[in-house]
Amino acid sequence: MSQFSDSFLDISDSIKNPYIEDWQKNGKKVVGFYCTYIPEELLHAANLLPFRIRATGTKDTDLGDIYMVRFTCSFVRATLDLALKGGYDFLDGFLVCNSCDHSRRMFELFDLKVFNREDFKKDVPRFYLALPHVITNEGFEWYRKEVEELKAELEKNYQIEEITEQNLLESIEIYNENRKLLREIHDLRISDSPKLTGSESLQINMANSSIPKDIGNKELKRILHKLKERETLNLDNKKRVLLVGSVVDNIDFTQLIENAGAFIASDCLCFGTRNYMDDVKIVNNEDPLTSITRRLYFRLSCPRMMDDHERRLDFLINEIQNAKIEGVILQRINNCDLHGCDNMLFTHELKELNIPVLNMDREFYQTDTSRLQTRIEAFLEMI
Amino acid sequence: MNNKTANNEKIIPYKMLLNALSTTKELVERILPEEGIPSLRFGLKAIESVISKYIEKANEGLPVVGYHFSLPAEYLKCFDCVPVCVEGTSYFLSAFLEGGIENYYDLMNNWGHPFHTCSSQKGSMGMTLDNLFKFDALICPTAPCDCTIASYPFFKYNEKFPLVLMDLPYLHEEKSFQYYAEQLELGLINLGKVIGQEPDFKKLKEAIEIENQVNKVKLEIFDLIKANPSPIENMFNAVSSGCTIFIPGTLENLSFYNKMLEIAKERYKKKEHYGGEETFRSIWPYMITFFSVDLLEWLDRNLGLSVLFDIFNYNFSDPINTKSDLGAMFYGMAKKGMSFPMVRQSTEFFDPFIDYCVNFAREFSADCFIYTQSIACKQFGSVPQLLREALKDEVGIPMLLIEFDAGDARMTSLKTFKDKIGIFVQTLS
Repeated sequence: MSQFSDSFLDISDSIKNPYIEDWQKNGKKVVGFYCTYIPEELLHAANLLPFRIRATGTKDTDLGDIYMVRFTCSFVRATLDLALKGGYDFLDGFLVCNSCDHSRRMFELFDLKVFNREDFKKDVPRFYLALPHVITNEGFEWYRKEVEELKAELEKNYQIEEITEQNLLESIEIYNENRKLLREIHDLRISDSPKLTGSESLQINMANSSIPKDIGNKELKRILHKLKERETLNLDNKKRVLLVGSVVDNIDFTQLIENAGAFIASDCLCFGTRNYMDDVKIVNNEDPLTSITRRLYFRLSCPRMMDDHERRLDFLINEIQNAKIEGVILQRINNCDLHGCDNMLFTHELKELNIPVLNMDREFYQTDTSRLQTRIEAFLEMI
Repeated sequence: MNNKTANNEKIIPYKMLLNALSTTKELVERILPEEGIPSLRFGLKAIESVISKYIEKANEGLPVVGYHFSLPAEYLKCFDCVPVCVEGTSYFLSAFLEGGIENYYDLMNNWGHPFHTCSSQKGSMGMTLDNLFKFDALICPTAPCDCTIASYPFFKYNEKFPLVLMDLPYLHEEKSFQYYAEQLELGLINLGKVIGQEPDFKKLKEAIEIENQVNKVKLEIFDLIKANPSPIENMFNAVSSGCTIFIPGTLENLSFYNKMLEIAKERYKKKEHYGGEETFRSIWPYMITFFSVDLLEWLDRNLGLSVLFDIFNYNFSDPINTKSDLGAMFYGMAKKGMSFPMVRQSTEFFDPFIDYCVNFAREFSADCFIYTQSIACKQFGSVPQLLREALKDEVGIPMLLIEFDAGDARMTSLKTFKDKIGIFVQTLS
């Protein structure tokens, strides 16, 4: 399959990009975050650029290893490593929630070791959101208050008189449109005559997470148009697979799968479907911040939500039907207990449904390629 | 199969545990001199007594309720049930069952449980997969770690046991205590519905009052440990963690700590150290080696190295107010639950943890810290270097880091522990 060439997709290969530079030239601020459970619309309404932290391209974790033991996630270690080398010096704010044990500890480590370096002079405000681990009405009420407090903290730290309801409504509109466009692109992928590969889809999602969303919407429309015009991919005998599990922020891994003879027709990843399947819905004159929180909290969950495995399984089963999936690749970054155990349950549940499953572990950065390739090829042959 | 036989087969691992504890206790009583390892002697007796009562209750058909160690088990005293600690069972069997429980770890690993996920759950999960546990319900706070969040759904989704969850905020603040108090109350009510019982808050109050007394005694012991030499043997740490998670809210528990306090006072008066001579004093801010608790005895006797306390023995909370209304009691219960070992450290940021470690080092005249980093405890995976730097800069003492699995000797063996600590201790002198 030929690789789709577009400057927008190139943004996904690097951390900083020209859009961020333009944004900051005008004195505007960038806030880094790790997880899709944070209210991006709120940051946008505060005229802040939410930037999803990645470690794309990082090849080792030498510096990160000093502060994080080897049993921690190599993705988070790589982001810390990059930050210690100055890769995130452009941040003007840092927002962490307790998504997982690895990333939430960045709240302290960035403060002590990244933003406290001798050569780093900027004062970077930090924000923490405590997210419940179950999906209940009480949990929602807790999280709503957390998000309200975050709003007050943003106003205070960035000297914003008020983030108004109107600001929030406008942001909701932009973000809903953004997600709608991503879903339209997704439809072009899952179709019987797909227009883009899984790797290209990943690139689009990563690029989109690193730029202002109003620009993102323009770019996505352009890409969508270009994709529609594009010839259908020749899948040859490629097997249609669903990719599930830990964060993937590098196309090296998806290309490894696709080069082995698969077509990643859909996914359940946080740089993928998990982030754009649900919209903010404003119902019964609810205030917009509550609506933003409602989407965040009740949307398709990741395994950090302890009581929602059944709904995640339902999503996989639906997606298997929608995208005519022939096999499921479950993967986790080593030391990720959350995805590891969710994948363990999926393995048995999908096998009971006679759906071919490959459950594998990997490091964040590309390593052990031959082993992975052999396992993937063997799996694809088996389908 | 009659009912008694069926009931009898619901908690086979507790029977294995009872046998293992009884055998060890018998060995201690018969082989060691009368003053030998009193904590083991009295502690095992206390745990054995409570566990045998639980087994009797299970035989009578009372519901078997699995609980996560971070739920103070005295809270389950409001039910007529058989409380079974999921994590405690794995680790105490790995400590006292001949041959350990590696076969159950392997069973679970082969089933797909990641190798890096906590063996404290893995063991009991393996036993459940092997049909040795048949829970009527499980109850679990959503803390302190990813392994808890990740592993417990197995019981619900694969084994189809009812699982009652209580959301515990990862934030150590006033609003969290209020929220968790409501979650605790709701959780107990929900558990009651599952097992067909109304919570008896009078019984709960009685159990909490016993634990309030236990807490007081523990604090006195903790204070005596400041003395040089420490009047408490290293093995106390292992046994005390067992008592804390298996038998809280019982008179047996209170009796154990009272006996240990008497011994500590006596030794303090005589300036006596259990191992002969105390050469160095260490604090283990994390866990001990449950797969081989005899390391503690070896450190006392062979190196004269005191293990002043580990994570299960320095987390104290205020007494719970039982004299006011239920709301006040649940608030106190929530505060205690959120100050429980590992939960407190997990819900706090690192700064307070490092601060109290530094203060402990000073108050207890520690010569070193030994930090055992578990393969499973990712919530602690970013702290060792920060703590090492703080101890060096602020107190001038070193910290040894050993990566291990607390319940599985195959990752870091007893010999490796002895070698590493032996060499480390040489650098202290």
